Amino acid sequence: MKTTIEEKNGELVATFEGRLDTAASVQTAKDIEPLNDCSGQDIILDCTHLDYIASSGLRLFLGVLKDAKVKGSKVYVKGLNNDLKSVFAMTGFINLFEFK
Amino acid sequence: MDRKQLKLQNDVQLVPQLALFVDEVCEDAGLDMATTMKLNLAIEEAVVNVMNYAYPQDTVGDIYIEAQADDEQLEFDISDSGSPFDPTVRQEVDTTLSAEERPIGGLGIHLVRQIMDSINYERVGGNNILRLVKKLK
Repeated sequence: MKTTIEEKNGELVATFEGRLDTAASVQTAKDIEPLNDCSGQDIILDCTHLDYIASSGLRLFLGVLKDAKVKGSKVYVKGLNNDLKSVFAMTGFINLFEFK
Repeated sequence: MDRKQLKLQNDVQLVPQLALFVDEVCEDAGLDMATTMKLNLAIEEAVVNVMNYAYPQDTVGDIYIEAQADDEQLEFDISDSGSPFDPTVRQEVDTTLSAEERPIGGLGIHLVRQIMDSINYERVGGNNILRLVKKLK
């Protein structure tokens, strides 16, 4: 699992690659800490190369969204494959996020 | 399919070993990639629940995962010798709440319920046994 954060065109982009299972979520939680420093920019969670997500990963996404809402930022989820979309649907996360 | 068994300790860093086991079971049962991903998710959530709650913190305990399939169904038994713990009585999460209202937990067992066709918990002779069944027809 690899996570990178960069600022692009005034947006914070977090790119996830690999399997975000319970084991990986401990490190991923640390890797996405810079998103907490966001001061009103929109946040993109780029999942184009994400193969798998467990509830521990979904919790991280929900945490990002909760923090961002307080600051007035929008959070977009980008590039979800159909399998992951079904996980977002099963958990109701499909209604929480905006998708690109 | 022959009965397959995996023994893990209560350490979530061992989840990748569990994923390899579930992949192998699903491949032998002839399941497609999408179903395999969902079963991986359900079994991971159920096993992580046991890893986190069955044994007192900082004590090492064993968890056994057994899988068996026939033409009708694929069955996973997850067992441990920790304290009695029935995840099936956990209250259902409300997936219609807004981000502000959504509690951060409770998603794991919800996913298990969504993906599997049945979940049964039994306490037998000092062991917790959780049986998860996916119908194949």
